[in-house]
Amino acid sequence: MAQNILSAAIILSLGLLTLALLLTVLRVVRGPTLPDRVVALDMLVAVAIGLIAVIAVKTGFFLYIDIAIALGLVGFLATVAFARFIMSHRYRAATETAAKPPPEAVHRGNARRNRRPRRPRR
Amino acid sequence: MRRLAASLILAVVWAVVTGSAAPANLLLGLLLAILCLGVTRRHRGRGTIAVRPVALLLLGLVFLRELALSAWSVAIAVLRPRLDIRPAMVAFPLRLKRDFEIALLANCITLTPGTLSVDVSEDRRFLHVHALDCRDPQDLCRGIAETFERRIMEAFP
Amino acid sequence: MMADALALLCAFLLVAGSAFALTAAIGINRFPDLFTRMHAASKAGTVGSSLLLLAAGLYSWDFAVFLRALAGIAFLILTAPVAAHLLARAAKGSGYRISTLSVRATHRDNKK
Repeated sequence: MAQNILSAAIILSLGLLTLALLLTVLRVVRGPTLPDRVVALDMLVAVAIGLIAVIAVKTGFFLYIDIAIALGLVGFLATVAFARFIMSHRYRAATETAAKPPPEAVHRGNARRNRRPRRPRR
Repeated sequence: MRRLAASLILAVVWAVVTGSAAPANLLLGLLLAILCLGVTRRHRGRGTIAVRPVALLLLGLVFLRELALSAWSVAIAVLRPRLDIRPAMVAFPLRLKRDFEIALLANCITLTPGTLSVDVSEDRRFLHVHALDCRDPQDLCRGIAETFERRIMEAFP
Repeated sequence: MMADALALLCAFLLVAGSAFALTAAIGINRFPDLFTRMHAASKAGTVGSSLLLLAAGLYSWDFAVFLRALAGIAFLILTAPVAAHLLARAAKGSGYRISTLSVRATHRDNKK
């Protein structure tokens, strides 16, 4: 009985995590800026760690936990490297020349501003 | 003496992470710990830090409770049909002086309900905090000062 | 009996953890700007993965594996705020504007 509930829970959580991965990838694709994508990638690593843990329970092969820890380490380093990159790269030049918002636009927030089509940056 | 204690703790952590407490493994952990401490020696601060264990434990428990609460409140904010949030950037006046205390406070703030630490001002007087749902900045600052800042001060006299 | 209770507890932890992860993913899509998205990712995401790791550690019923799962959780909780903080600082330093509201104006004088 309890084992049945557990296997149902495993299926359910695998489904939920898959949905979470897809939604996070959606944010990576939509952007709109590099920091948004990095946040989404960080989140992607966290969800992948969770997925690995669920697979460890499903298969009973608990070496997966070590893999999850290693993935967390790599993901953290990647995020730190991205943050350093954003900090050093003069990202400001791209945003400020693209649009100087009028004063009232600042109060409406930048959800609107982000929807403005951006020039592709290489 | 302090270095010996630190390397012993690191060796135990190594044994836990590798999942084996065999003497050879512990010895390997101890060697690695000494190596790591040697490499990072120039970057560590000097001087001892007094710690009150009970207050530190309390801080940890409060932190875990706040973490659970914060995940819950973010989940509620996300799932509410109408997005009813009021983000704000607030400058929190710091009373803590030492760098590691500020770092600890910043980490605690990031994982507690509705707040995220963004930056420390050059002169270490203000911590810029981003709040997810902030109706009253004074109230927010008072909340942080009374829970985490006070407890950190108690844990590290 | 004991095994049943353990299985039920793990089932609960699995569903709760993945629900938190899904919430974080929805939040990352619904919230209007970078900093609010970071709230969702750093809190709900961390708690979700921690619960899932805890479930795996408990279900193994092996002390060494459980300790390793706890070490993983501790690592996650230690690194998530550092990563979020660095990223927020980088974004702020490079001129990313927050979706501002009047609350910010009252504290503008305090800024350096």
